[in-house]
Amino acid sequence: MAHAATHDHHDHHGAPKGFFQRWVMSTNHKDIGTLYLIFSLTMFFIGGAFAMVIRAELFKPGMQLVQPYFFNEMTTMHALVMIFGAIMPAFVGLANWMVPLMVGAPDMALPRMNNLSFWILPFAFFMLLSTLFMPGGGPAGGWTMYPPLSLQGESVAYVIFAIHLMGISSIMGAINIIATILNMRAPGMDLLKMPVFVWSWLITAFLLIAVMPVLAGAVTMLLTDKYFHTNFFNAAGGGDPVLFQHIFWFFGHPEVYIMILPAFGIISEIIPTFARKPIFGYRAMVFAIASIAFLSFIVWAHHMFAMGLPMGAEIFFMYATMLIAVPTGVKVFNWVSTMWGGSMTFETPMLFSIAFVILFTIGGFSGLMLALAPADFQYHDTYFVVAHFHYVLVTGAAFSIMAAAYYWIPKWSGHMYSETWGKIHFWSSVISVNVLFFPQHFLGLAGMPRRIPDYNVAFANFNMVSSIGGFWFGASQLIFLGVIIHCVFFSKKKAADRSWEGAKGLEWTVPSPAPFHTFDVPPVIHDDELAHGNTDH
Amino acid sequence: MQDKTDIEMAARLKRARVTALIAGGFAVSVFLLSIVQMLKV
Repeated sequence: MAHAATHDHHDHHGAPKGFFQRWVMSTNHKDIGTLYLIFSLTMFFIGGAFAMVIRAELFKPGMQLVQPYFFNEMTTMHALVMIFGAIMPAFVGLANWMVPLMVGAPDMALPRMNNLSFWILPFAFFMLLSTLFMPGGGPAGGWTMYPPLSLQGESVAYVIFAIHLMGISSIMGAINIIATILNMRAPGMDLLKMPVFVWSWLITAFLLIAVMPVLAGAVTMLLTDKYFHTNFFNAAGGGDPVLFQHIFWFFGHPEVYIMILPAFGIISEIIPTFARKPIFGYRAMVFAIASIAFLSFIVWAHHMFAMGLPMGAEIFFMYATMLIAVPTGVKVFNWVSTMWGGSMTFETPMLFSIAFVILFTIGGFSGLMLALAPADFQYHDTYFVVAHFHYVLVTGAAFSIMAAAYYWIPKWSGHMYSETWGKIHFWSSVISVNVLFFPQHFLGLAGMPRRIPDYNVAFANFNMVSSIGGFWFGASQLIFLGVIIHCVFFSKKKAADRSWEGAKGLEWTVPSPAPFHTFDVPPVIHDDELAHGNTDH
Repeated sequence: MQDKTDIEMAARLKRARVTALIAGGFAVSVFLLSIVQMLKV
């Protein structure tokens, strides 16, 4: 009876006909997830093109290709596009696709708001990118937008409006995810039976609604300082420029975790599948994510050690920052323990996941070095910092997104990707990314400052190596694009419902490709079918 | 069966809207507080 009712329901509510109705007016979580993923991939290549300009200019000492102001625009835009345009929307896209499937919900709780959350983004980024073509140019004061530097130029209002739009989009997306996870789970899907990816997104969504409004407040004050003669950050009028740094980093540090906690969730899905073991220490993994999220609120001033904090504050923020290594260490230990004794195979998602564990840990270790307040005076504003956060964000966040794309694309498209080309993409990426970023540690330790278009000849060799790695890594991502296009449109190899032998969880119980509507009737939850939320483990 | 499911789903969606309002209200409060507390400076 239930089956017949469900069948009728499907017949009456198929995918809308026509491009406009299907994609622009979509309220379907899978279609909106696809839109987010396409958007983020587009932004990944635009932001990557900006990075290629940066590495081309730094290929040799001396001014080569671009003017210094344009170089500054490129560093600023590269960061804004990659953070707000590529990484964050990719995670939201993955959440849109997978969270309802993983918790047995028919869709997101607020589908029309979901549509609005997505469609704000293309307008925001069109506005942001259009500033590059305006008289006076785009933002060039760095993505941190410290005043008074960021208030120079005529594009400030456009940039701030674009950031407001991105923030509104993120907040609406986060609210939707919280409402979905807390209210739409299938009966029997208790909180501590949810997949770790769902947990990681629930915690990330709380971070988002707590800190994105702070960024909105900070940039609103910048706007009023620029155009309405307020003096929040204007020292001449009694304001305090350092106050902006405090507010910005109160947003900025949790923002770093917004970009890495969903990655932890993804890796926690993939490693158990290809190790064919439940994840080691499920509850510890969940509590570790929650601990990292809590600690992210009390460490912001480690970005500001060099600006003259009181000694007590330096010591507090140094120790609080080092404390984050504890829950992060728990996670790395548990991933390794999950693999230990497992019946492992090394398909492309697993390769990216293992690379994540190793390379993210390198980024974590350089983060511990930066957390040491006395040492940070040497490292601050050098290429050591650039190397650190690119290990965390490229080999961390971006690698996890690539792993997720390979892992779930059979479910999305109904086809298997080319494993050979997937592995070529992996090995090309993992070698080139280290050629690109590892020498930057040495450049930073030798004293090369960040955000400069020219440098001392002493830094020439490592910069050339880094640029070669950069071009190589950029070209490698064209392979990724090719693998995805081939898989979606040309692959002849059909994906099974359970596309990976060791995969568990509700998402693998629906057909591949996932039908337009799933779980119209809530599924029955069997503990042995849960991903790794069976708390008896 | 389908009717029962629909009724349950309607109740869930109502609860979801309340959750969204609370979360949205929290976000707006944080935004306003982040500016208002700075007005003393």
